Amino acid sequence: MPRSSRKKTKWFSDSDRAASATLDPGMMPLIELADVSLRFVNYADKQYSLKRAMLDLVLRRESNAPKGEFWALRELSFRVHQGERIGIIGGNGAGKSTLLRLLARIYPPTSGQVAIRGNVAPLIEMGAGFNPELSGTDNIVFNGAMLGFSKQEMLAKAAGIYEFTGLQEFADLPLKYYSSGMYMRLAFAIATEVHPDILLIDEALGVGDAAFIEKAKERLRGLVDRSKVVVIVSHDMESLREFCTRGLWVQHGRLVGDGPINAVIEAYLNATTARISA
Amino acid sequence: MDVRQAASVKVPHAEFFPPPPAPRGPNVWRRRLHDDRRELTRFWPVVQNMVVQELKVRYQRSILGFVWTLLNPLLMLATQGFVFSHLFRANVEHYPVFLFAGSVPWMFLNASLSDAAMSIIMNEGLIRKIYLPKLIFPMARVLIGLVTLVFSMAAMFLLLWPMGARPSWSMLTLPAAIGLFAVFTMGLSLVVATANTFFRDCGHLISVFLQAWYFLTPIIFPIEAPMFDRVRWMLELNPAYSFIELFHEILWAGRWPRWELWALASVIAVVSLGVGYATFKSQEDKMVFRL
Repeated sequence: MPRSSRKKTKWFSDSDRAASATLDPGMMPLIELADVSLRFVNYADKQYSLKRAMLDLVLRRESNAPKGEFWALRELSFRVHQGERIGIIGGNGAGKSTLLRLLARIYPPTSGQVAIRGNVAPLIEMGAGFNPELSGTDNIVFNGAMLGFSKQEMLAKAAGIYEFTGLQEFADLPLKYYSSGMYMRLAFAIATEVHPDILLIDEALGVGDAAFIEKAKERLRGLVDRSKVVVIVSHDMESLREFCTRGLWVQHGRLVGDGPINAVIEAYLNATTARISA
Repeated sequence: MDVRQAASVKVPHAEFFPPPPAPRGPNVWRRRLHDDRRELTRFWPVVQNMVVQELKVRYQRSILGFVWTLLNPLLMLATQGFVFSHLFRANVEHYPVFLFAGSVPWMFLNASLSDAAMSIIMNEGLIRKIYLPKLIFPMARVLIGLVTLVFSMAAMFLLLWPMGARPSWSMLTLPAAIGLFAVFTMGLSLVVATANTFFRDCGHLISVFLQAWYFLTPIIFPIEAPMFDRVRWMLELNPAYSFIELFHEILWAGRWPRWELWALASVIAVVSLGVGYATFKSQEDKMVFRL
């Protein structure tokens, strides 16, 4: 809370108190969703133009721009405490990635409330905010700034990042010349090197080679040992089983399963095979 | 449980969104302002980074980079200076300096508005991958324009020395004039950034609008010119007039601007920023769904 006295910020005091007055911060959930729903309005023509808006207005006809809406997430409520490793599973289009984006604050919820305590490092769709024109090192600084770290802090971490990725020799190459594997390795290394309180991963490990995936898992384990929260969206049940402690099964935007990872995966697989054989 | 103890040293600040319900009315905006100040402090390095990288790309790649960026406005000034002083006989002393004093700030407005209009759409890649306060995108564009303005103003003033550009004490107020104009531009940028995100065809309108506005602002001819006799009051209603007039007074006439002019410019700048901020903030949450 830079440069703001508590006295002046009465309207915000509730959350301040919630964060500071608890006796045991270890028990405070890092992620708390209360009855969260998210609605997408499906714009048939995304570029609803001013021309059409004006015509609609002048001709006094019903604006027909927003065509249909759909609830990507419905009434989700759960809490995530320190040290939990969450695996989110579900079919395509179930809302897994949307949920992850909601946790990253990219999508604001339509209703309900999301509370996040701690800094979040998202790894969504490969590379969390890079500028392809910039060199590797510049991107480390740029990405670090978005995660809340100063240039000096990031330059100090650069050595560790290069050591993990083995990309030292490409440090001055613009990112647009990186292969997708290199891109992903860099993104993963930055997101884990800054030791975020909450790490969100969306199938990010998909493009890595076997050796890298092994290394990445090792690193994630280290991260979790420092009692951080990791949330992973994946279809790779084996690694989820191996890696996560708790599973969340999302179906049609609703939370249909929440519990120990093995039990949730069992239920999910049973339901899937049942549907196929039926 | 040393893990817990380690955690209790630093209690992370909780972020709620939507923020806890507050009474409607001015409090909503007070909290928005408060939150934005916190967020902008936190994300200020990102803005800095965007500005520096953009300028680097522009100026560093070629040694002549800076000269190139000057060349365009210089050529425009030269053409206009020639056309209007020789063909249209604008009877203005040190006409090139007059033209420079009005059109260089205008180029800043022009560039900032057209860049800011695209700023949200262009940064879709970032916005859909990581949380950033969206305010920083138009802001970075205006800051880039501002740096360019300062550089090109200084360089072109020196180049115009033979045409009669002379420093004066009134130039001490130049930073204030630039500051007010930047605030005004920022407000407008927020409006066009919002409008263009929701209505993609606004981009075309903005360039046409800017062109028309340019000719309705006394940049090519001084407002005292006889041709404006009948429409002078209309020109004075133009919100950009007071800023351009400030620059004319300071850079061309070398006079201290009248205090009414300062007052008018300040009021317009603050109103513009207020309107822009309100427009942008009220739509900010919806923007990501329109990318």
